[in-house]
Amino acid sequence: MDAAAPRPKENMGEPLPRVDARLKVTGQAHYPADLPIANIAYGALATSSIAKGKVTKLRLDDARAVPGLLDIVTYGDMDKVDKPKFGNSGATSIGPLHDRTIFHDGQIVALAVAETFEAAEEAARLIRAEYEEEKPTATFDSPGTATIPAAGKSPLFKEDVKAGDFDAAYADAAVKIDQRYSTPTQHHNPIELFSTTAFWEGDQLTVHEPSQNVTGWKVELARQLKIDPAKVRIVSPFIGGAFGSKGPMTPRTAIVAVAAKRLGRPVRCVTSRMQAFGTQTYRAETRHRIRIGAGRDGHITAFAHEGWEVTSRPDPYVVGGTSATGRMYDYGSVLTHVSLVQADRNTPGYMRSPPETPYVYALENAMDEMAVALGMDPVEFRRINEPKTEPIGKKPFSSRSLIRCYDEAAEAFGWAKRDPKIGAMRDGEWLVGMGCATAIYPTAVAPCAARVRLTVDGDVRLQCGSHEIGTGVRTVAGQMASERLGVSIDRISVEMGDSSLPPAPVSGGSISTASVCSAVLMACDAIRTKLYAAATAEGGPLAGSHNEELELAGGKIVAKSGASAKVEDVLKAMQVGAIEEYAEFAPKGATPDALKKLYAGTPEFHGGDQDEDSVKYAFGAEFVEVRINRHTREIRVPRIVGAFAAGRIMNTRTARSQLMGGMIWGIGQALQEATEIDRRYARYVNRDLQDYLVPVNADIKDLQVILVPEVDPAVNPAGVKGLGELGNVGTAAAVASAVYHATGKRIRDLPIRIEQLLV
Amino acid sequence: MSQPSALSTNGLSRRKFMAGTVSAAAAAPLLASRAEAATPVAAEPKLRQPVVTSLRINEQPYELSLDTRTSLLDALRDHAGLTGTKKGCDHGQCGACTVLVDGKRVLSCLSFAVMNEGKDITTVEGLASSDGKLHPMQQAFIDHDAFQCGYCTPGQILSAIGCVNEGHAESENDIREYMSGNICRCAAYPNIVAAILQARDETKGA
Amino acid sequence: MRPFVYEQPADISAAVAIASRFTTNDDQPTRANAQFIAGGTNLADYMKLGVAEPNRLLDLNRLKESGLRQIRVTDDGIRFGALVRMGEAADHAEVKRRYPVIADSLRLAASGQIRNMASLAGNILQRTRCEYFRETSWQCNKRVPGSGCAAMEGFNRQHAVLGGSDACIATYHGDFAQALIALDAVVHAEGSRGARSIPFAKLHRQPGDTPHIETDLAADEIITAIAVPAVPWARRSLYLKIRDRESYAFALASAAVALDLDGETVREARIALGGVATVPWRAGAAEQSLQGKKLDETSAEAAADAAFAQAQPRQHNAFKIELGKRTLVRALLETRDMKA
Repeated sequence: MDAAAPRPKENMGEPLPRVDARLKVTGQAHYPADLPIANIAYGALATSSIAKGKVTKLRLDDARAVPGLLDIVTYGDMDKVDKPKFGNSGATSIGPLHDRTIFHDGQIVALAVAETFEAAEEAARLIRAEYEEEKPTATFDSPGTATIPAAGKSPLFKEDVKAGDFDAAYADAAVKIDQRYSTPTQHHNPIELFSTTAFWEGDQLTVHEPSQNVTGWKVELARQLKIDPAKVRIVSPFIGGAFGSKGPMTPRTAIVAVAAKRLGRPVRCVTSRMQAFGTQTYRAETRHRIRIGAGRDGHITAFAHEGWEVTSRPDPYVVGGTSATGRMYDYGSVLTHVSLVQADRNTPGYMRSPPETPYVYALENAMDEMAVALGMDPVEFRRINEPKTEPIGKKPFSSRSLIRCYDEAAEAFGWAKRDPKIGAMRDGEWLVGMGCATAIYPTAVAPCAARVRLTVDGDVRLQCGSHEIGTGVRTVAGQMASERLGVSIDRISVEMGDSSLPPAPVSGGSISTASVCSAVLMACDAIRTKLYAAATAEGGPLAGSHNEELELAGGKIVAKSGASAKVEDVLKAMQVGAIEEYAEFAPKGATPDALKKLYAGTPEFHGGDQDEDSVKYAFGAEFVEVRINRHTREIRVPRIVGAFAAGRIMNTRTARSQLMGGMIWGIGQALQEATEIDRRYARYVNRDLQDYLVPVNADIKDLQVILVPEVDPAVNPAGVKGLGELGNVGTAAAVASAVYHATGKRIRDLPIRIEQLLV
Repeated sequence: MSQPSALSTNGLSRRKFMAGTVSAAAAAPLLASRAEAATPVAAEPKLRQPVVTSLRINEQPYELSLDTRTSLLDALRDHAGLTGTKKGCDHGQCGACTVLVDGKRVLSCLSFAVMNEGKDITTVEGLASSDGKLHPMQQAFIDHDAFQCGYCTPGQILSAIGCVNEGHAESENDIREYMSGNICRCAAYPNIVAAILQARDETKGA
Repeated sequence: MRPFVYEQPADISAAVAIASRFTTNDDQPTRANAQFIAGGTNLADYMKLGVAEPNRLLDLNRLKESGLRQIRVTDDGIRFGALVRMGEAADHAEVKRRYPVIADSLRLAASGQIRNMASLAGNILQRTRCEYFRETSWQCNKRVPGSGCAAMEGFNRQHAVLGGSDACIATYHGDFAQALIALDAVVHAEGSRGARSIPFAKLHRQPGDTPHIETDLAADEIITAIAVPAVPWARRSLYLKIRDRESYAFALASAAVALDLDGETVREARIALGGVATVPWRAGAAEQSLQGKKLDETSAEAAADAAFAQAQPRQHNAFKIELGKRTLVRALLETRDMKA
């Protein structure tokens, strides 16, 4: 069996190919900007070239003179609609055309609309803004920042977790470290460009836009436009990579909708790669101070994690990863504190494993330093500090297979062959280093609805307003229905990415597979119940059988006794052509309003650190080998092994691919990715894929994903833990660990670049 | 599933047509000047005058009346209705727009469409045979799960075919190096390499 | 993008004639109203960015002279037609055999697709990728003479440490040019004032006070061929490119090296540096320091020191001096150890 389709182990589903694979390899998968629309007009954005001040004048004459120009939407033209809101479905509270104030570089100042893309783009370039400019604050250490506590600023970050008396324990610790770490600004850069296409049919608005949250956007866009959410439809059948960037709606959407209304014509605006850096969200720059104290036996007695995060002036976006780092090991005492640092920047947002990527990077790099300080093998150090209960609330983990992950990954990697001495391993002109780190991601789940129909012909239609961002959720949802209804996957059509479908939560936080599959499971089981009732009723073909003795397989209801009945016949006997069930799944512990909030686009999350009975996380262990040229010091990662346990694996193929993608993301975060800012002007400098580097094919050589079996019925009915965001947590720390092993240089600031190893 | 009511079909674009039949967007400004555009080429060309460009796309002739600024990518997507070719950066930095021109892989975003007069263009829509049988490279991408979101996939597949035909797929390392102009942000790279190895020999014969 | 008229001249003289009609003697080729296009990989990018604003494009791809598309290998050396594509030259068996440094420099540049599009002449004329040059809202003396240089005190990690001025420190990012300057190539050009040959080292201009003047070419002049003299010992040559990722990235530092060795002693060395200078950079002092010396790590380091003696660091690019030196040392040692 080839590497892409791992053989399923215990509690793992078949590696079925993606149900939409054929569409994707033939160019027939229609992403939002591909959907054909007659009589379309093209929009192009004009954006600010300053980060702080006021637009005093906008010169539009040259732009208006461009042949084919239809309209320019700018200041004053959005007055009749409401400003965007920050939080939930909204990326920012900045209404760029509601107010002439400039809050950040690259803020929208106008939308030019023309008959052709070329004319719109030409006109947008000819729009000239005049400014009353103020000195902007770029980031940490820039004059003019304001620092505020993060706790309570976000519903997802209520408090700074703590346990025991850190100060006393740290003071008494025999071995201790006190170090600072940092991670840079990063932009998601999905390969699909951000776009909005809007058209009105009477008072009904349809928007085609890549979205991870069609229900939330429907409600938020309707609020801004002051219309009934029932009059808004968001369509996003395929999404060309998201990674969090398409979770919150940005102000552009309403601006394009207004343009389409004014013109009485469909308008499509595809944002340029460069403009996306200022008009979309990004991963906030973070700084960390970590203190760890331990006894000489390696037991940690004191752990403190302080974080600082850059955000915009108006919006308190919180990264806040201390909930996970504070629960990672058996610390004894824990002290955490997170601060927001406000600057003249656009508002950051979620990017793949938002809290864990930077915070766990800092923790795991510190853990490696601590292992060195203790003279201990880094795997052994983690083994010693494996907790029985999490240290903050003393709750058990619903399941925790971290040590098994370490054991399996270490074995596959050949960790035993590592010479622990610094710089001891060489291959010709190349210094070899090996390192490892822990991956962790909270397992959350949210309410979700789904509609499933089984027809007398044996076809299944599954509808759910979730989003296929590349995770394979269409495939695994289909697999769940296939399994529960005994219907082959090729008879199942799966519809997603449309706000007119049953609502699903935002496809973020690695909740989709768990939430969607739980809803599909519910709908399918309701169909089973009806079928079983008919089949086992008096006079039915399986009369006298009990439901628990029945299975659905191959289009039949099969009893333990061996008796069976064709589903087709049962439906005929019921005198129906199909059974359709609409299921609304709400997780254990859901509030009475949980389903109402789902429809309102503000679903509540459960699991992670939120539940009363236990905390719920997925874990993994990653090992990397780096090679660093003796002369020139460029760093390459020829080999990486990750082992992950994430409850039930619905499909080993799509699961492996997601984890693999995450690990490669981790390599990029370790070595390449950083949005550079010109500190004088608070402007991004490397706003394209020429200068914002991400891994290319040649960067990745030997990569191995190990799926570690794990059964966890407590997380959700589907038994699934999310894993889309697990793979890139910890990777950067593993690389830092390997770089240290090869060179003796401890790099604490990401990305790790050649210049840090030349000195 | 979710097409708007006012859609045009891809079926129309398969035939020879003038811009305006499918791409209503381009119709309004171009129709007015079509008579001008059709005058003999000997006349002094004028600024903003559309140029009638003949392309063979997937073995079908197309005649498109185009702004000289229109990239081959936008001509394919907005004028020929072939949206399988993707715009990922529009500046030659990602490879999503890769197509074959006269059999060679190129970036359609960095080529003005008018420069391709008379050329043979192959896009992802032209790879499967008319009976629906996939090109071996397409099948290999499915077999090896060589994509996740699928957005860079048409460009990856065209680039892979070009790479094989150039003779640059003889080893895994060669494939990695010569496929590095196609960024996959989902990072399916190892699977892409495996897919190309599988389809290599059959592609050479295709 | 500014609208433009598109023309397809039939031959070189027609192309020159049209260009002459729409340009003046004072026009810089990169700033003229009429500009030539071949592969388009650099010009189309800069037109989209509003950095290049020709209103007339002369497409050279239909020129009828067949020599423009040929690679000719003779006893005198090798002659590349200007319209030969980078990919074709990189894969040419005789280029790989006789001049590995040329084949390497082409193979390690850009991507497979771009190498299929980009002409050799266009490649050597490619303009800097300085971030501040690319985005028109920044100050840039190269783009808008006299407007200032935002890179000087800005984020300048990519910028040059050699050949800069107070007006400009934008790096020349090409690779092929380093091989050509090392091998004493000659560029053949035709314009309204006739045909001429330009030593490669005279083709590009250091920025000085006039960074907008990038080359020695007139606006109506077309490069027709690039000639590389026969250098039998160039079989011992290579191009080493160091970058932030394994492929598809510009050089942080690179070195083109060709060595004529007598045992381990250097009879003649040819060295050019990329990624660190404002123009293709011949490291004459490094070459001289090696002449007659045994090539080992010590002499290689001395050569590297000589190569960077005049280097001027800025805030974020100071590492390029150390990296450039180490790149050259490694390139020299690897060239020495080649089986040639």
